[in-house]
Amino acid sequence: MKATGAELHHRAETLAAPLPPLMVAAKRVASTVAQGVHGRRRVGQGETFWQFRRYQQDDSITRIDWRRSAKSSHLYVRETEWEAAQSVWLWRDASASMDYASMPAFGSKRLRAELLLLALGVLLVRGGERIAVLGSNLRPSSGRIVLTRIAHMLEEGEPATPSLPVPEALPRHARVVLIGDFLSPLAEIKATLAAFDALGVRGHMVQVLDPAEETLPFAGRVRFVGPEAEGVALIGRAETAAGDYARAMAAHQAEIGRYTRSAGWSFVRHRTDRPPETAVLALYLGLAEPALE
Amino acid sequence: MFALGPLSFAAPWALLGALALPALWFLLRLIPPSPREVVFPPVRILMALARRDETSATTPPWLIALRFALAAAVILGLAHPILNAEPGLKGTGPLALVIDDGWGAAKGWNERIAAAQRLVDRAGREGRAVIVLGTAAKPEPPAVTPLAAAAARKLVESLRPKPWLAERRAVGDALAQWGEANRSPPFPLAWLSDGLEAAEGEARAFAEQLGRSGPVLFAEPPGERLPLLLRPPRSEGDALVLSAERPSAGARREISVIAHGDDGRPLARERLALPQGRTNGEARMALPSELRNRLARLEIENETGAGAVALADERWRRRPVGLASVGTGREDQPLLGDLYYLERALEPWAEARRGALADLLARPLAVLVLADPAPLPAAEAGAVVRWIEAGGVAVRFAGPRLAVATQAVGAESADPLLPVRLRAGDRVVGGALTWERPVELAPFDDKSPFFGLAVSADVRVRRQVLAEPALDLAERTWARLADGTPLVTAARKGKGWLVLVHVTANAQWSDLPLSGLFVGMLQRVVALSQGVASHLPGPPLAPEATLDGFGRLGAPPADAQAIPSEAFARTRVGPRHPPGFYGERGGVRALNLADSVPALKTFPRPANVEAMAYGASVETDLRPWLLGLAFLLLLADLAASLALRGHLALPRRAAFALLATALAAFPAAAQPQRPDAEASAIAASADPTIAYVLTGNREIDETSRAGLEGLGVILRRRTAAEMGPPVKIDPARDELSFYPLIYWPLGGGQRPLDAGAAERLNEYMRRGGTILFDSRGGEGESLLGMRALARQLDLPALEPVGPDHVLTRTFYLLREFPGRHVGGRLWVERAGERVNDGVSSVIAGSGDWAAAWAVDDRHRPLYPVVPGGERQREYAYRFGVNVVMYVLTGNYKSDQVHVPAIMQRLRR
Repeated sequence: MKATGAELHHRAETLAAPLPPLMVAAKRVASTVAQGVHGRRRVGQGETFWQFRRYQQDDSITRIDWRRSAKSSHLYVRETEWEAAQSVWLWRDASASMDYASMPAFGSKRLRAELLLLALGVLLVRGGERIAVLGSNLRPSSGRIVLTRIAHMLEEGEPATPSLPVPEALPRHARVVLIGDFLSPLAEIKATLAAFDALGVRGHMVQVLDPAEETLPFAGRVRFVGPEAEGVALIGRAETAAGDYARAMAAHQAEIGRYTRSAGWSFVRHRTDRPPETAVLALYLGLAEPALE
Repeated sequence: MFALGPLSFAAPWALLGALALPALWFLLRLIPPSPREVVFPPVRILMALARRDETSATTPPWLIALRFALAAAVILGLAHPILNAEPGLKGTGPLALVIDDGWGAAKGWNERIAAAQRLVDRAGREGRAVIVLGTAAKPEPPAVTPLAAAAARKLVESLRPKPWLAERRAVGDALAQWGEANRSPPFPLAWLSDGLEAAEGEARAFAEQLGRSGPVLFAEPPGERLPLLLRPPRSEGDALVLSAERPSAGARREISVIAHGDDGRPLARERLALPQGRTNGEARMALPSELRNRLARLEIENETGAGAVALADERWRRRPVGLASVGTGREDQPLLGDLYYLERALEPWAEARRGALADLLARPLAVLVLADPAPLPAAEAGAVVRWIEAGGVAVRFAGPRLAVATQAVGAESADPLLPVRLRAGDRVVGGALTWERPVELAPFDDKSPFFGLAVSADVRVRRQVLAEPALDLAERTWARLADGTPLVTAARKGKGWLVLVHVTANAQWSDLPLSGLFVGMLQRVVALSQGVASHLPGPPLAPEATLDGFGRLGAPPADAQAIPSEAFARTRVGPRHPPGFYGERGGVRALNLADSVPALKTFPRPANVEAMAYGASVETDLRPWLLGLAFLLLLADLAASLALRGHLALPRRAAFALLATALAAFPAAAQPQRPDAEASAIAASADPTIAYVLTGNREIDETSRAGLEGLGVILRRRTAAEMGPPVKIDPARDELSFYPLIYWPLGGGQRPLDAGAAERLNEYMRRGGTILFDSRGGEGESLLGMRALARQLDLPALEPVGPDHVLTRTFYLLREFPGRHVGGRLWVERAGERVNDGVSSVIAGSGDWAAAWAVDDRHRPLYPVVPGGERQREYAYRFGVNVVMYVLTGNYKSDQVHVPAIMQRLRR
């Protein structure tokens, strides 16, 4: 059940439709932050009219508002409100484990992750934010064309990607959204988070899991094989192991939650049998609310 | 054979396999099912768990029980258990199965064959060969061939009763010879008899003959299974005397005999009683001559077998009467001719032939009529006399020529064709020169064959020839005049009769030929005749249609042979000559079985035999059931193994349903699957559903479906009508009553409706259904189609929709009804034509609405509308909504018509 880029894009748009444009609450206005639509109630670069003021010597002639100037004997310059945009780097896990789907009806985790990523992208672009895909070497951009580009990129996919993102040089105060199953050993996850933290980057983690991965709904004698050559586990009576497994999984998730909280990140859990809207909403709230600190 | 109470095993050594069961038990317990393999991303977490949980898995106990039952069923099945098995056969060597398959065996044939099959099965189980012999007479001596049980079974199945007599001696001889030739020890024999013997002691002799070869099993049919025999009927006057016979006298029994015509239609039915203590009974069947002339077959009702059928040929039918033209041309004149009245009188009930005397005598003839012939040459007269003596009836009418002849010759016995001596000349009564009045007829006396006929008072005889008084004149007189002079005299000659009517055959001498009495008298005379004298040589008679053992008339078997016609009367029924019709079509002659059968006789059970009963076996072979059970268990085991390894990804409920279905289907596998009519009925009636008639043209059908789909979408959006998906129907097959509206696109090669479909559609319209006929913008061809349909359907009178019709206001207010095309008129039933809540049962137009409504699965229109515009499409949808509302709500909106009046009243 591999969706084409256009189809994925379409579905993401539908998913994002009921939510208002998402404006990432930029904590701090810095010159490194590209200007966007966040009105700063100051004169600056932007689209929205702010005020007319008298022409001054050092103003560029191109800035003169001739229509206004024609009404009087003075020359006026049109000033716009300073608007700033945040850059958000999105990432989704494209490793083999994400292709898992316990029932065809649910769809694979990867599909859900891409859907979430793109829906989030739609919301962000609508809010005027600049988005990019982490590890894609694309510059952050805010046009709608970027969505199409991302959709195509997701569709093509890249073979044999690692289960965790490789931290790269990101601007400070950039935001990162990581979507994946995060089933890697806790130490690796912790290391990744630490690397991002060192860069001064905050973000959000979304763990997408298949329902079977939480409940272990198997019975009888089962040999479990990892998709990424993690190893093999032979369970004699899978039905009796379900309780232990659920506890272990909960512990795993709780540990990730603890790391993320301590790093100032948010952590959202999502299951593919739930509607994607819940995850989008949680992300929306996580991104829109003023970040901690 | 090894027996445990009522249960016995045909192959008991297979039970030794049961010893292996305990071993199987341990084996099954030790080998757990192999694990299923699952790809599972969070395997790391599991690996931590797996280290703790490393116990060896065992086979679940219910699976062990299942496999154990499977093995037990196979072992038991191989042991071939039989419930209530019959005891084995005595003696050694093959079983000789002697089956009576003569004519008497047809009744209860199935029981006989079932018993034979039982015996063959028993022999087969004991590994014996089987010799199958039928006792019906065969052209060559019976061959004794031991067969394997399977082949014998097929042979027994192919046996049919033969429509001739049994000849048991030949079979007994053949068996005895075979036994001697093979120096066989006593071998078992079984004689499935029909309970009849040909002659006294014949059956006992046969049983003794069989007994010399070995022990004999003997079966005889119960009394009510013994055959009945219908003898060929006798003609007595205008009635047939039926005669039936039974083998043993008993209580009074009533049977029915049915007469069939040559076309197989029943003509008459007569009850025939076999009185108590008598073996035979008789009944008279009076048939009008028209019916009797068509008689071909008589049979006892509800009785199978050739013995219950009697075939009738010309002898029992319309008699050929020859009218000899011996005069000079005068006989052809209407009203005056000699033969005119005779022909008119005979034609309705007898076959009147005209021709020269020699020609007439060359063919079979019952009665020869000579109407005042000129003196016959001696050779011809001799031929006639010979013919009479062989059984013919000659009727001679007097006339002027005879009167002259009596005067001229005067010598007695010169004319051999006179029953009495005549006086010279003739007598004239009531002429112009006499005082006497013409004389009327006297009533017939009781010795006359005419006795019982009413003498009509208006018959007058004016002239006649007179008989010379003689001693035997009175007894030779069949009819006389009121003054006592003989009018009809007759004499027996050999087997036949010579009859003289003393008046002419025309109305010259008397009124007799004008009266109905004349016809009655002729009928009596013809009835007196023997039928067709049949000793004339001719070509051999080839079999035309013969009876089989069950008494069914069919094509003759390959070895049936023709019969020389002169030997026909002596021919006995046999394998070469099965009973049936022989000869050319039109002149066939019947060879009846009953003519060859001596009196029916039963025989007591011979002393040296062991009795067995007819009928099907009481034993039940359990092997197929056990092996079938084992197969089912095998399937269940397969499913269970798959489920345990996780390869069976069915939800549990579905799996149970599947299993239940498989189990339910097992005994019923041979039954054809019923179409899921009920499911489709439920689907069609859950939501209001519009149906469309399949035209057979794929494009039109697809357009209809898409159109109704589109209309359904519009209805869901805009109205409270939640339409189900459209349904395609074929009026010839499908139930129509679920659909409030049927859309019927015309044209596209609509086939004419068959009568059943038309009746169903009419019924649908009568019961309140509505059909929307759409000629799809077409004029020529589709209108022709509509016209052809209208002829088949009971369509009401139509009128164009008026501006006030409910259809214009059921949901939208509409003035016109465009579809894909505009401008067509819409026709509905004329108001008040039928009741049906004011809803027209027919809406007809040419808008091609379905095309305007049609949408694809993204709800985009499929066809452009002409002249165009989405407005037109919108109006088309509105029309569709109105139609659906119209059929769903009836005249609910018709009171809108009164709105102006109501408003006016409210304002006042």
